[in-house]
Amino acid sequence: MTENIDRETYSAARVRALESLLIEKGIITGETVDKVIEFFEKDMGPFNGAKIVAKAWVDPAFKQRLLEDTPSAIAEMNFPRGMAGAEGEHMKAVENTPAVHNLIVCTMCSCYPWPVLGLPPYWFKDPTFRARAIREPRKVLQEFGLEIPESTQVAVWDTSAQIRWFVLPERPAGTEGWTEEQLAAIVTPEAMQGAAKVKVPA
Amino acid sequence: MQVKFEQFAATSMLGSEDAPPRSNGELLFQRPWEGRAFGMAIALSKKGHYEWEDFRQGLIASIAEWEATHCKDDPDWDYYQRWLLALERLALESNLLNPAELEQRTAELLAQENQSV
Repeated sequence: MTENIDRETYSAARVRALESLLIEKGIITGETVDKVIEFFEKDMGPFNGAKIVAKAWVDPAFKQRLLEDTPSAIAEMNFPRGMAGAEGEHMKAVENTPAVHNLIVCTMCSCYPWPVLGLPPYWFKDPTFRARAIREPRKVLQEFGLEIPESTQVAVWDTSAQIRWFVLPERPAGTEGWTEEQLAAIVTPEAMQGAAKVKVPA
Repeated sequence: MQVKFEQFAATSMLGSEDAPPRSNGELLFQRPWEGRAFGMAIALSKKGHYEWEDFRQGLIASIAEWEATHCKDDPDWDYYQRWLLALERLALESNLLNPAELEQRTAELLAQENQSV
């Protein structure tokens, strides 16, 4: 494994060499790089969608607005600028209930609303997954460990440039009296795709 | 419609073979230098030093070079090694720095590293 350790040390040094030279030449500043990373860690990601879901769970009026006019409900959230406009514009929330379970797929994954839902996993773009999700969604969900009862309808939504879907999952039992923050912490990207249910951590 | 450059850059890679590793909807950096290399590549393009598409093509090429000489499931596969290679090539190509100074600085940093061990 020495070769790997060497490669590791070398890569770390190489990146530092690049960055320090570019900074000395005034091409970038350390803060420029920090800001880019911060954008992905703090501004855009599944934590935004989780906040929307948590708010909808505790505030029935907000939930109704979210389902009727998703973009304007998202605009109320005070997210970093650019998001509501660019990606929120054509967003449409669909609610999971005992009567219907929603699953999102994407043909054009460049339209996937990742600033809200998070970056999609690799399998999401896989044409086989997409085709099967449309043809036999129950079976695909079963493979994810989700048993959908026969009495529940399964609806599959294809995200496109026109409409970017996102799932409002069901609030799990045992979360009565939780704050929005506590609730947001248990909402996963998979739950907002409809590939999982929200679970209360044991 | 205003899209931040960072958003445009990440979106362009979604669903392609050059998409970065992620976990639970967020970017996955396993070592600190990966995040720096990621941020630098985007920052340089954002500042107009090269086109983002040129970086992507360089990344796809560096991934293809690995795949041409390794098995698909080679455990030594390392996405950010390929990213770093694409980044330094494009930085040199764009005349942001020269090869000699990059080699020298790397050697200096490695020497410091050895001394401190």
